[in-house]
Parts: sequence; structure tokens; C-alpha cells
Amino acid sequence: MDYKIRKLTDYLWELPKTGGMRAPARIYATEDMIAQITGDKAPEQAANVAHLPGIVTASLAMPDIHWGYGFPIGGVAAFDLDEGVISPGGVGYDINCGVRLMASRLTRQQIGPRLRQLVNQLFRDVPTGVGAAGALTVPVDELRRVAQRGARWAVERGCGSETDLAHIEEHGCISGADPAEVSGRAWQRGREQLGTLGSGNHFLEIGYVAEIYDAEAARVLGLEIDKVTAIIHCGSRGFGYQICDDYLGIMDGAVRKYHIALPDRQLACAPVDSPEGRRYLGAMRCAVNYAFANRQVIAHHTRKAFEKALGVSSAEAGLRTVYEVAHNIAKFERHVVDGRERQLCVHRKGATRAFAPGCVEVPPEYRAIGQPVLIPGDMGRYSYVLTGTEKAMRETFGSTCHGAGRAMSRVKARQAAAGRNIVREMEERGIIVRGQSRRTVDEEISEAYKDVCSVVDACALAGISRKVAQLRPLGCIKG
Amino acid sequence: MKVVEKTPAWLKLVDHTADAGIAVEAPDLGRLFERAAWGMFSVITDVAAVRATETFRIRVDASDRAALLVRWLSELNFLHVTEHRLLSKFEVMTLSEQHLEAGVFGEVFDPARHTIFTEIKAVTFHDLQLERDERSWKAQIIFDL
Repeated sequence: MDYKIRKLTDYLWELPKTGGMRAPARIYATEDMIAQITGDKAPEQAANVAHLPGIVTASLAMPDIHWGYGFPIGGVAAFDLDEGVISPGGVGYDINCGVRLMASRLTRQQIGPRLRQLVNQLFRDVPTGVGAAGALTVPVDELRRVAQRGARWAVERGCGSETDLAHIEEHGCISGADPAEVSGRAWQRGREQLGTLGSGNHFLEIGYVAEIYDAEAARVLGLEIDKVTAIIHCGSRGFGYQICDDYLGIMDGAVRKYHIALPDRQLACAPVDSPEGRRYLGAMRCAVNYAFANRQVIAHHTRKAFEKALGVSSAEAGLRTVYEVAHNIAKFERHVVDGRERQLCVHRKGATRAFAPGCVEVPPEYRAIGQPVLIPGDMGRYSYVLTGTEKAMRETFGSTCHGAGRAMSRVKARQAAAGRNIVREMEERGIIVRGQSRRTVDEEISEAYKDVCSVVDACALAGISRKVAQLRPLGCIKG
Repeated sequence: MKVVEKTPAWLKLVDHTADAGIAVEAPDLGRLFERAAWGMFSVITDVAAVRATETFRIRVDASDRAALLVRWLSELNFLHVTEHRLLSKFEVMTLSEQHLEAGVFGEVFDPARHTIFTEIKAVTFHDLQLERDERSWKAQIIFDL
């Protein structure tokens, strides 16, 4: 693609405001990455987002930007509450897809040969998807409570504790959820999927702390070299997918009703303060809470699997929630723009909130180091723990990257894996992988993803987050 | 976007970095809808292992033909995820610009015999194509996985 892109700094690039754009589009990336990024349509999508009414400062993209439905994945866009819009495409199908990091008291040496049992136990106890045994079947009445109470719903049923809630973005429950705005189909899709991982790039990974870059932050977060960790990456399942799908249709009508000029129909949106906008917000927040509850239930099953497989007590395993982030969400937040504090509607689609030290949204025990940010990589390499910075507050509405992003399509990944036994290859590298099917594992091979290290380094160099620790995988279950 | 892999001749998997899609071709519109449904289930599972022992009646309405195709596939995916059914045979009975009625055949998902490759989050309007030339009807549908 031929973009008129301008270098602002070594790590920030700009597509200047032209034509119908109301603001510029800015992409965080290194010089090495920008050639690859401008090779596809994602920067055009970032520029398209800048056409939307009420956009504040710029349409932003993180270094893991890639093509998405309407809005690019890796995109951050903030809108004025009076003049701006809300768009389901700016959140994505998997509403509140997110990541929880748990850390245990056990070292990888202590787990040693029992790792295989642990991964097998997790594969049995944490269901993945369709028709999976072990998922909770929740009647619709109860599901309404899930949609309003989030992770607290699960804790009230014995899955976890208050300590977990304190370490989840929004304490695991966003306010303003309105079950009346959720369709019957969404309830039906959500009924049997609570506590399930789903397929695609969702996973549960057992790993260990391999490197520490910021000793003080790691100490505050309780991350120690060789200690075993668990990462849960999933979202709001069919409940959220259906809400997104339903509201894409509703927003299509709203675009005509409010005469919103769009460069791409997939950016369908409505004024934040319109009946359609309010309805989507009410429904989307139900899915946000569903996802919080989902990860809380999975975290509970993960703890139980540790105890069963390793023959340890819950205190001995000591599997506590370090933090949990959302990376597909739209939220009302206060940010300083041109010296004035304003309430904005911040869309993060494949981007993670990364609030600075001192922010009241950060749990008090972490407030001195900033909000923890969890960036999963692929199943063969590594994941990262970062923290938010003051610069992110000033430049990106307190946001950073969310992951590696695919380098190969699923078909290409299958071709690359043809004739190989990926599970055995991984095992030879000390990583136990269990997937629903061989195809699932083949599509998720390590080389199908970009190196998350370069994404994280670009964010650190740009100053929008700080590197705290690197985690390496020991075992992984895939839906 | 490149088209690769062939199974069967009228179905192609569309290569898309983050998601997946299908391109199908058929001599008439009814057959095109049937083949698109088969193609979608081939993304979900090995359709050859799915017996056609149960029948469901499907009716969908939409504003135009392309939207009808998306609605039809969404309806079948909904049946799959909420009722745990896998489908392998599709018979369009009534089809107009805005309305479709069909009989679809399949069975309950049985983990001992069936493999689920992936879930489909949604059937999207992205790069949706539905067109006819002198010889046949063609469609392309991208799924969000």
C-alpha cells in the first residue's frame, strides 16, 4: 500500500489529516516494523477511524496493529461523549477478550515430571467449546445476574475470593450493564458456555518466570524467577459474539438515521448519547461482565487442577491472581486533553489499558509501579508482563499493545505444519501441548505468530509501557 | 487475499490472515446456498464423519440476497452452537430475494466420532461476494474465528 506516512519520532509514525479525516492517525512502531505494517490495509483502517465524529486527538495504533473488522486490531480511539460515537467494530466480536495472569508458590523444578499430569488435568477440567463436558449450564435468569455482577457472581458461588476481584480491571464488574438490551439469541448462546475457553487463539498456558527486567516492579507483583505461572486468555464466548453481531445490524440503521458519513460500512456506529449508542453500551457491558465471570470460573478450575494433579493443598500451590486485563472493550474514562480533564469513550480493540503509577484505578498495592499489563505471545516462545506509564497517559489514553498478532494465515500455518508432529516437536522443547484437534495445534504453531518480543520492545522504546518480566511456556491447552 | 486448497472442486478455502473464508460455486442459487452451508461446516468439522440422521426445518428472511446468505449461515451456526448439532446435508426448498426455507440434516455432536476444528464467532459482511456469470453462481464468505 502507498501511504503518505510521516516519521514523528523513532517509534511513532503519522498519517496526516487529509480529506474527511477529523484527526491524524498515529502508529507506534519501530523503523523495522513499519515497512511490514504499511504492507497491508491496517493503516488505512486506522485512517478511516479518524473520520468518525467526535474523535479526540488521533486515531491510534499499537505496534501489533493488523487488519480487523472495520477498526484495525491494535487500535485505540477516544471519543467525546457529546459529539462522539460508539462502535461495535471498535470493540470487536469477542467483547472483553482479556488475559489473567496467576502466579504460584511452586517452582518449575518442584513441578518437574508432574507437568504432564497437570496439563492433562487442565485439559480435562477446563472445557474449551461446543458440547464440551464440564461447562456450567446457567439458566437465563441466573445469566442476567452474571451479566450484572461479573466475576463477583463466580466468587459468590465459591469460585475464588475477594483478593481475586481486587486484581481485575474494574474489579471484575463494569457498571451500566443492561440485560434488557441483550437479545434472546445471545442469552441462548451464553447459556452453556460459562467457564469455557473457546477456540482460535484462546488458551490456558502454564509457564514460569524466565527473566526479570524491573526488579522492584517484579517484587511488588510477587514475580520470582522460576516460579510457575498460569495465563488464561479468553473472552465472552458466544454471548459476546452474538451481541456484537446483533448491534452491527442495529448500528447500520443508526448510521443512516444520524447521517454519519463513513469511509467503510464496517465502522457502523451511533452517537454515544443516542438510544442506539446507549443500548449497545448496556448490552456490551453485559458481555464485559460475562467475560470477567468466565475467566474467574476458569481460574477456579485451574486452581483445582493444580491441587489434583500435583497433590498439593491450595495454600501450597498458592495460585493467586497477579492481575487481569481486558483488551477488547469500550470504556468511559477521564483523560487530560490539551490541559483539560475530559470524560471520553475510549475504544480499545486489541489494545490494553496501561495506566500510570499513581492512578486510582490501579490497585493500591501496585499503585507505586503502575498498572500491570499482560501480553501473551505464541505457544512456543514467551509472554510479557509490563506496566503502564505517564507517557501512555499523555499520548495513548493510557493504552499499549495486546499481543503478537498472526504472521501466517491458518491455511499457511497448516501447510507449514504438514508432515510434522507439532505436539512432539513442542514436547522435545519441554512444552506439553494439548489441543482439541491436530488442526487446532497446527494452526497455532509458534512461527504462525510474529515475535511478541519486538512488539513489546517497541512499546517500551516508545515509552508507553515498561518491561517487568518475561514468562516462558511449559504447557498449553488450546480450544 | 489469495485462494488456496481445494476440497471439493466447487469449494475453495479463502486465505485470510486472521480469519478464514470460503469461496463456492454452483449452477443455481439454491445449490449455491447449500454448498455454502456445507463449506461452512467443513471449516468447523470433518463433514464426512457427520451422519444425516436428524432433520431440521430452517426459515430465514433478510433485506436482500447477500444478507439472506449471511442470515442462512448464521442460523445454521446458531443451531450448531446452541443445540450441539453438526450438519452435513442441506436442501433448499424455497428461495426468493428475501426469503429462504430449507431442510437441513445432521446429528448430535459426539466427541468420540467428531472433531471440532474451530468455532465460528460470526458470519461477516466483510468482502462478501454473491454474483452470477453466464455459467454459474459464485459466493465468497469470510468468517470471524
